Amino acid sequence: MSERGTGTWEFVPHQHRGPQQQTGADDHIYSPKLHNGTLKSSGIVTFMGAPYCPPERDAIRAMGAKICFLGVPWDQGQMVRSGTSSGPAGIREASTQYFPYMFEYDVDLMSVFRPVDCGDVPIVPGNNDRSHEYIYQYITECLEGGAKVIFCGGDHSAPIPASHALSDFHKDGKIGYLHIDCHLDSAPDWGGIRNTNCSGPARAYDLPNCDGANMAHMGSRNGLNPKDWYDFFVDNEIRIIPMMEAVERGVEVCTKEIFDIAWNGTDAVYCSWDTDSLDASCMPGTTAPESFGIKAREAIQVARIAGTYGADILEISELCPIFDVSQMSIKLACCIVYHYLGSRAKTLRDQGKTP
Amino acid sequence: MNPAKAYAHLFSPQGGDEADNYRAPGQITFLRSDHVALNTEKLREAGVRYAFIGVPFDEGNVGRPGSEEGPREFRLASQEYFPYWFEYQVDLFGSSVDCGDVQMPKVNPGLSRERIYKAVREILAAGITPVICGGDRSISIPATQALSDHIGADKKMGYLHFGANLDLADSWAGERNVSTCALARISELPNLAGENIAHVGARNSLNPKDWIDLAKQRDIRFFPMFELFERGVDTAVEEAIGRAWDGTDAQYLSFNFNVMDASMAPGVTASEPGGLESREMMRIAGALGERGGVSVIEVSELCPIFDVSGTTSRLAVCVVLRILAAIARSRGELVDQGIKRPSRD
Repeated sequence: MSERGTGTWEFVPHQHRGPQQQTGADDHIYSPKLHNGTLKSSGIVTFMGAPYCPPERDAIRAMGAKICFLGVPWDQGQMVRSGTSSGPAGIREASTQYFPYMFEYDVDLMSVFRPVDCGDVPIVPGNNDRSHEYIYQYITECLEGGAKVIFCGGDHSAPIPASHALSDFHKDGKIGYLHIDCHLDSAPDWGGIRNTNCSGPARAYDLPNCDGANMAHMGSRNGLNPKDWYDFFVDNEIRIIPMMEAVERGVEVCTKEIFDIAWNGTDAVYCSWDTDSLDASCMPGTTAPESFGIKAREAIQVARIAGTYGADILEISELCPIFDVSQMSIKLACCIVYHYLGSRAKTLRDQGKTP
Repeated sequence: MNPAKAYAHLFSPQGGDEADNYRAPGQITFLRSDHVALNTEKLREAGVRYAFIGVPFDEGNVGRPGSEEGPREFRLASQEYFPYWFEYQVDLFGSSVDCGDVQMPKVNPGLSRERIYKAVREILAAGITPVICGGDRSISIPATQALSDHIGADKKMGYLHFGANLDLADSWAGERNVSTCALARISELPNLAGENIAHVGARNSLNPKDWIDLAKQRDIRFFPMFELFERGVDTAVEEAIGRAWDGTDAQYLSFNFNVMDASMAPGVTASEPGGLESREMMRIAGALGERGGVSVIEVSELCPIFDVSGTTSRLAVCVVLRILAAIARSRGELVDQGIKRPSRD
């Protein structure tokens, strides 16, 4: 039995149903009136409490969603410790602690974007290729449904099918590709396997409409970056901003630079953000925590600046709640998305545009 | 300074049957101070400047529970520090007593609030600054009321809070005295003008729109993290301190340590990314102490079950002690440099 979209986008959280109904169009941006809202009482947990929408283009279009959230609980495309398959559940859980209203931008994310949660992409244990094929299909449905995509992984092999989907969606145009990570992830292959979490930018470069001139990387550091990864960026003249440079020049100015590169003459941008780009102290809940990374406050600035440019797909990967401490990692991942969306909404409003 | 006291506590332990083991404190009190009953007369006799009181109350909490454990961990962490602060050349020994915890009836928040109010009044009446450790943020409501009533209607009060949430809900789920309503109630105190209220550190989206609207309506100045980044932490905080201290007769200073970045303070109820760093907070503590005094210091929302290696309670204690040390410094209460470690013989 399959549930079909109703054709209307309606935001009525579980907590607002039942005998203790709260009504009123803007209830969700104010302190709760009759009960504690979502903070302790959960219905079916969706990202931001957004309505569920089946991951089908017609349903998404019918609901008028401008943002689709997808979970990608795939963690067999990588070679470090596992556990990132619970990343999507973690970021959804963190979002129950936040209101869709953001005072920093004076925006209500819910009414601006009409976001929907399309659930998780189904995966096939032990089969990277088939799982990637499904990721490609589900991302494509969201794009065809007229929405931008925010998805949470899941390991960092997910951008390979996801950027492929964006590339095909814009097959008559050009796309930019950004990679924020403590690793360069540009292995031609890893032990002969081409589509792992070590090869995101390498596979993006293979896409027919993604030029090296529209690709950029920020955040790499430390000794899990073999020489062939570094050579890939140098040989293909792709801009690389190692952490050392980001610290020297400031994360904000570097963020502007990479987004300028990605949007220079392109029609769409893919932004791949690995949680291990963040400092291990702020993001213990990632598969490969590394010191000397981006601090939480800087990450929020990166997200804010990213929001002024926008991206067609924003991916948060390698979130690994089982290693988290005091929910700080899932909350930071959630804040990154919220600040990105808040800043995006404010930017569009300032430009007199709608999503 | 008390001339009759001994000075052995200023130095590394010298061995012997008493006090030779730093890790065996005996009675667990704030900064190893004496326990004194919560009674104005007895407190007055003690002749101290500060009285610590624990408020293990978390029935005003709307999110993660666990702040009930705050006072216990705060006391324990305080035992990790010497009363001597080399940066300020001061000695806090003998400056405080510990009044224990306010007795909390369970499932009776109204009565709990009454007891918190009475406890704070009792200490203030002795001319002593209460150092309060919660408990959830709602304890600020009766505690600020106590200070307001203590100074009386013809005196002016200042209020400065550090935290990630504004807590400006006029009501929350129909309740008016839970943690998210704290600043809404505090800003209604008759002798606390909007111009003497400052809030530092608001960020992220547990600050719904009615809170922002109420801040505007009541002319409550808040300094969000983005403003601190743009203007510099020191500059913005100095302005915030000025609002609470300049031209006021009494000042209530409160901390929810989620003002810190979650990486610096995991052991709070609502940890938040994007906040202050420890080194910044230490400078702030110094700046606060330079004002030379404060009427009430309160810490709420410590949540030791989420702490890592005790770092958050230690940070909280360190900030409070640093403020006390900086106050002593600004009053010129320096340790005599002629005092040296006694000889073993």
